[in-house]
Amino acid sequence: MNIGKVMLQGTFNKVRKPKLLARQSKLISAIQVGLLSMLSLSVTAEETTSSHAPLSACYVDGLSEQVQCGSLMVAENPAIPDGKQIAIHYAVLPAIKPSFKKQALLAIAGGPGQSAIENAAGFNRVLAKVRQDRDILLIDQRGTGQSSILACDDDNMSALSFNDDDMDYVADTQKCLDKIDADVSQYGSLTALKDFEAVREHLNYDKFHLYGVSYGTRMAQLYMREYPQALATVTLDGVVPMQQSVIAIGSAIDRGYALLFKDCQKNSQCQQQFPTLEQDFQQVDNALAEAAIVTQTRNPQTDEIADFTLTRGKFNGAIRMALYMPNIRALIPHAIHQASIGNYQPILGIYTLTADSTGIAMGMHASVVCGEDIHRLTDDIRQRAKGSYMATTMIEGLEATCSVWNMPQVDSSFSDAIESDIPTLLLSGELDPATPPSWGEMATEKLSNAKHFISKFATHGVAYQSCGNELMADLVTSGSLDNIDGECLEKDVSRSFYLNANTVEVIPTTTEEE
Amino acid sequence: MKTVIAMVRKELIDAMRDKRSVMAGLYYAIGTPLLMCGMFMVLIGQLSSPEDLNINITNSDNAPDLVRFLNNRGINASTDEGVSVKDVKDIELIISDDYAENMAKAKPAEVTLIADNSNEKLQKSIRRVELQLQAYSSEMGSLRLIARGINPAVVQPVKVIVEDQATPDSKGGFILGIAIFTMIYSVFISGMNLAIDTSAGERERNSLALLLSHPISTRQLVLGKIIAVTCFALLGLLLILLVSKFAYTFVPWQELGFSVNISPDFMGLMLFIGIPLAIMAATLQLFVSFMAKSFKEAQSYLTMVLFVPLALSMAASYNIAPDVLEWLPVSGQQQALMAFIKGREIPMLQLLVSSGATLVLSVALALGLEKLLKSEKVVFGL
Repeated sequence: MNIGKVMLQGTFNKVRKPKLLARQSKLISAIQVGLLSMLSLSVTAEETTSSHAPLSACYVDGLSEQVQCGSLMVAENPAIPDGKQIAIHYAVLPAIKPSFKKQALLAIAGGPGQSAIENAAGFNRVLAKVRQDRDILLIDQRGTGQSSILACDDDNMSALSFNDDDMDYVADTQKCLDKIDADVSQYGSLTALKDFEAVREHLNYDKFHLYGVSYGTRMAQLYMREYPQALATVTLDGVVPMQQSVIAIGSAIDRGYALLFKDCQKNSQCQQQFPTLEQDFQQVDNALAEAAIVTQTRNPQTDEIADFTLTRGKFNGAIRMALYMPNIRALIPHAIHQASIGNYQPILGIYTLTADSTGIAMGMHASVVCGEDIHRLTDDIRQRAKGSYMATTMIEGLEATCSVWNMPQVDSSFSDAIESDIPTLLLSGELDPATPPSWGEMATEKLSNAKHFISKFATHGVAYQSCGNELMADLVTSGSLDNIDGECLEKDVSRSFYLNANTVEVIPTTTEEE
Repeated sequence: MKTVIAMVRKELIDAMRDKRSVMAGLYYAIGTPLLMCGMFMVLIGQLSSPEDLNINITNSDNAPDLVRFLNNRGINASTDEGVSVKDVKDIELIISDDYAENMAKAKPAEVTLIADNSNEKLQKSIRRVELQLQAYSSEMGSLRLIARGINPAVVQPVKVIVEDQATPDSKGGFILGIAIFTMIYSVFISGMNLAIDTSAGERERNSLALLLSHPISTRQLVLGKIIAVTCFALLGLLLILLVSKFAYTFVPWQELGFSVNISPDFMGLMLFIGIPLAIMAATLQLFVSFMAKSFKEAQSYLTMVLFVPLALSMAASYNIAPDVLEWLPVSGQQQALMAFIKGREIPMLQLLVSSGATLVLSVALALGLEKLLKSEKVVFGL
């Protein structure tokens, strides 16, 4: 899949793991945190025991320890139990000290289209406290990871030189659909939810604690609606309320931009260094709206001479992806300013991190969005998207995709607010460019036992960036929200902006004299 | 056979009469696991790094971003509000005066970490600070590359994937090695008092000659004594297993990243493997006690003799033990038990050989005992 499309379709996106030395792996996770989506390679499952055992020892990417893996055969179409069967793969990160053997925390990945198992290392870190006495269960949702993946990867595209304006979304989507040997209409959230519940029974857990992140929060809310008796607690991080179509993400992105400009304006160093940041951005954006800029550069990875075509879509897409991660977000003002004076290297650097994103199964992504969101595109959303480049292109791309990806629409009751008294913790990041705090608020409408906390400094994926994961651990341990006040989220964990290509600290004025 | 059973009954009734000395042997079985758990609880608390690690940061104004980064990972400056002086660890981080200046020019900016690395209580905390500083440095390094249009992946030419074959059980192997050691030792300790009492003690009370004047053979007498002592040794083992199963669950092992679990399977295996060991312990202790001239002498000799199985068991609890230990009595069984608990295959051949050797040794000692008791010198302690 090429970038243009990912950018337009991706509600939440992911970045290729910028790997450094092995010992620096901490940094890497730090870089990706915001995206909630650490890309990883395939899972090397080592079948060591007989196929009758539900679990066997295996290794997952990013974790050196042995964990337990298994799979469950389910009907692709639940209405035809004897029809085609697909394997739903799962991995259990066993509790360090299994004090609650009948409970597990089910972590649900975002995307839609990300593999939970491929993100095991990130979940393991965030859920370390929960794992002290409960298993962590990761299920590759149908259509992702190892569970009958619906991928649309096109490796022949040169990410640097291609021009996304020339793309034919309809034809590309058709090509992908033709290659897929599956009934794509069976890969929506509701069917996948049945798999989750089947795995719970298969593994003999009485109760689940849920941790849903990003799109995973939709799955978690559906779980609350369909199988409340199976749930002990729920944590929603970066909330997509049922009432909200993800198509509305355009305005969330624009809000992310505006907050960035405001942040820089308020910060004396950033303001001093980049006094005209917003104008700089407009200048580049306007120029790119006229025509793409083609420069000769070096391939960021191979160092070969290459043409870099910077289009409006790529420019905005790179900035959008950087907004997900607090540490890369810090580099955006510098990158915009440099682009405005003709140096496209920083933007190229950011773009290359996100360019060949292979972590989202675009077919599954389309199955979800085209079945559950596109029909909720109201005139109001359209109207508001008018003035926004990101929102308009996003809608255009999705409409093109869904015209090919024929999905039956979900019932209108799908969009009803969730009514529940299950203890529910909601976490939103003030700087989130995908699921703003107002979305989290909307989700609490009919939740009678819920608390919603907003981290001032977090972007998308609050538990990864703050003490949000400790709040979740408290909730899981105590089973109630009573003693959770969210005070620790007040701690200032903001990141300073890069003032040049090297530093985030005040640049001493004396340096000029030396 | 009836006579042997009568003998065993007599020995056990005798043992019960002197409750104090007999219980002294069993105290070990009850007390050791409790003491060990208490010790581990204290140690774990001392060795782990506190969630909120407070350290002294000098010149923190020179690097506010770094300080906030550390803060987000639970490493706080002692000057932060809400930090009481006594919670501050003796670790100092000095940010150099030219930090910002060097940073701006992409020259290495210095921070100095001052701490005593030989202080075990600090080691984990120091490593944690080092790791986070490294993480911060790497993150900036990556972002500097990105700012220059280079993919940070280029500075990771080799990606090392580690597949650790340790299982959750084997991670606690070291602790379990010590636990197994205490259990095997309980086999030797629990029956010791009875062994001395029923041999050297009986002789000092002059009841041994009386016993021998009854119409029983020396072999029956020896068997009766061996079985009685063996029963006590196994009782001690059973006790220590039960107490361990209960006590070990209270230690917060998870803070060390593993759990220690005494499973029913393990208890069964331990008891089974413990039977030949208990027999050997009984015969060995009886043999030595009879050799001694008096009760007190028997006590001192036994303490010395017991050092041998103790040393074997101790040596076998380390992975560096020479292979020959797998075949010897005591150490062979210990290694088999450790293999079981670590989820590896039990070395059956070695276990059979060492258990066989244990039994052969017991029979030899029993025959020796029988011969000893035919000598007047031994019976009357001349």
